[in-house]
Amino acid sequence: MSQLQQVKSSHYSLCYWQIGYWQKITLSIWLIALVIIPFADIEIVSFDPFLELTRMVNGLVTPDFFATEYLLQAILQTVNFAIIGVCLGLVLGAPLALIYQNPIVSSCCAFLRAIHEIFWALLFLQVFGLSPITGILAIAIPFAATFARVFHDIINQSSDSPLESIDSRADIISRFTYGKIAQVMPQLMSYTRYRFECALRSSAVLGFIGMPTLGFYMETAFKQGNYSEGAALLIIFIALIGSIRYWCPPKLLGIYLVIACVTLVDIPNVDSNLLVRFISQDILPPALVNVATLAEIQWSSLTTWFSTILSEQAIPGAIATITLALLALAATHFITLSTHAVASKHLCPAPLTWLGRFILLIGRSVPEYILAFIFLMLLGPSMLPAVIALAIHNGCVIAYLAVKQSNTITPQQMQMTRLNQFNYHIMPTIYPNMMALMFYRFEIIVRETAVFGILGIMTLGFYIDSNFSEIRYSNALVLITCTALLNVVIDIISRRLLKFPQTSKTRC
Amino acid sequence: MTTLTKLLALCVLTLSLFVTSSAISATFTFTAIPDADESQLRTRFEKVALYLEKKLGVEVKYVPVKSYSAAVTAFRNNQVQLAWFGGLSGVQARRLVPGSQAIAQGYEDQFFKSYFIAHYSTGLEMSDSFPDITEKTFTFGSKGSTSGRLMPQYYIEQYLKQKPQHAFKRVGFSGDHNRTIVQVQSGTYQVGAVNYKVWESALAAGKIDTNKVKVIWKSPTYPDYQWTIHSDVEANFGPGFADKVKAALLNMDSPELLNSFPRSSFVNAENKDFQPVEDVAKQIGLID
Repeated sequence: MSQLQQVKSSHYSLCYWQIGYWQKITLSIWLIALVIIPFADIEIVSFDPFLELTRMVNGLVTPDFFATEYLLQAILQTVNFAIIGVCLGLVLGAPLALIYQNPIVSSCCAFLRAIHEIFWALLFLQVFGLSPITGILAIAIPFAATFARVFHDIINQSSDSPLESIDSRADIISRFTYGKIAQVMPQLMSYTRYRFECALRSSAVLGFIGMPTLGFYMETAFKQGNYSEGAALLIIFIALIGSIRYWCPPKLLGIYLVIACVTLVDIPNVDSNLLVRFISQDILPPALVNVATLAEIQWSSLTTWFSTILSEQAIPGAIATITLALLALAATHFITLSTHAVASKHLCPAPLTWLGRFILLIGRSVPEYILAFIFLMLLGPSMLPAVIALAIHNGCVIAYLAVKQSNTITPQQMQMTRLNQFNYHIMPTIYPNMMALMFYRFEIIVRETAVFGILGIMTLGFYIDSNFSEIRYSNALVLITCTALLNVVIDIISRRLLKFPQTSKTRC
Repeated sequence: MTTLTKLLALCVLTLSLFVTSSAISATFTFTAIPDADESQLRTRFEKVALYLEKKLGVEVKYVPVKSYSAAVTAFRNNQVQLAWFGGLSGVQARRLVPGSQAIAQGYEDQFFKSYFIAHYSTGLEMSDSFPDITEKTFTFGSKGSTSGRLMPQYYIEQYLKQKPQHAFKRVGFSGDHNRTIVQVQSGTYQVGAVNYKVWESALAAGKIDTNKVKVIWKSPTYPDYQWTIHSDVEANFGPGFADKVKAALLNMDSPELLNSFPRSSFVNAENKDFQPVEDVAKQIGLID
């Protein structure tokens, strides 16, 4: 920051007008997007999507709530996976938050976090099969890594002054609990509640690869063109997310956990041989399977194998992933600003803000996969549907959190029009936090490009999915590692480039 | 300290989840993904499970799966002992579980075929020779499908002499035969490859506008879907169990049950019947 200011002041004489820090960030996001647009595959190819679109709209206005078999069970399992996943994530992640300053811990967490739930599930599927353990672990592991980071940040930002008022003879645990944890407890609780919403979404998304959640039936319904059924499932899912605070107050979480454990689908026996087989055979490169000693290894075939994956899959996949993510970031910025404006009570009258909030609820609840699916029909099979889907989803999440913040601001008592009040008081107040959220979200955008791979957009996720379907787990593992490393690198770069004022209270 | 006790309670509860193991029982489990209609899977296949239960005298359970690769994994891990596989997934599964046997196939599966379909704007018409579709946009079905991926790719490589990603302007995987039809019909892709049975049933159901999309080429026939049984069943369910399962499948004559697949009947099958599929898969590099 200080360096930046130095550079700025040295050039000050040359520049007639000065561009502020946030303007620079904003402009660079858009500049990067404009530069890569000519290289990105965003062609619109669709001759007559209207037949199918009419069907979709028809389906949406005539939702059929009775078309899905075992619907209640699917809803129950969606909730169960989310609750158990979050609790296990808390149990694993909260202690890690205390030692997160250790670089090994934090980089391990960044690595675990970078792998999408779907890939975790595809890996665990090989060991545990279609058992609930697969789904629960796929949620718990990345969530634990996220809890570790965010809880660490929250605790770090808390004030030290309560510690000083505690008797110095008190033991360290009491000092820490009452001096530190007690003051940030509301933030920890509110973040956990938010993550629970995320877990519900993840739980549904795991249905796309076979877990018995709502996503299982949702994917089938959309794929088969049963849009009435699909619409009903979407409505149920949005209602489930929109009403969390009514049916799952934090106090009842313990009871829900017990219910979840009792009503979880049967867990088949875990066969330890499968784990051994997975580690000792499945994930080894073809050249290393059935090799007893180091001397027998054919190094040349090993390097050819590795370089082929790298050049034919990892690198093209990574380029597509980054392109998609950067375009999505700019589009997310646009969606965030516009939806926030509609849903903010400082700008729009009450009935309009209700509509705005409803849009935010829908935008953040509908899984990106379904959004991309619809836009794929409308715009053709380029990167564009994915960009739009990511932008709508993430833009609505950020705008939702930003509205929460901006609604707590009291407007200045001045002779100002609503528009001026919004532009010169509200927006400058929340903009830094909004941008911070956006860069937190960028990491998530990169992860979520994975889902579009499964829809056929050639990101890293596409190649990983292909390798799983060709039963080449070793290749898949190499690519998953590449994806995770890519995320870690992006995380480091964005932290270096943008040293945010650490004031943000809401995280995503 | 209440948080800590709560946390502890959560911990114990969650851990207890992982040690409880369901009682070991000899349940015969099977899975199936039909090629056309994937809705109401459990409702439909639990009827098949009931039929098998009656014929075999053991408890039979149906497990729904989402993809061919998930079916192969479940079979490999012995979580299902019987599976209704596509041609390619069957070959993959039998390579992974030595001793497993293809025991029955659908009557239609002895001479299965793929259709290449095209959007009207391409101007392509039905022909007996392989159509000139280079530089078009093209979609396969799901990545692991025999009729939507393996065989079409084989014929493309045979006739166009290059890999699909080089031959076409854009290559996609719609994920499902019905999707392929919808995407070609809407012009999202110009050409696509589809399972002929799915095409014909969609045509009969009036879901296809033949002014917009038409069949331009029919592939030669090849073997496709089959029932494959795990090598461990004799040990777990007694000698001769595989033959009992085979007899039950071949004798299945209720149209309601057969429509779930949908096949007119099941006939005898053996591993060697699917050698052509394996050869093709090796040739295009889908299996090593």
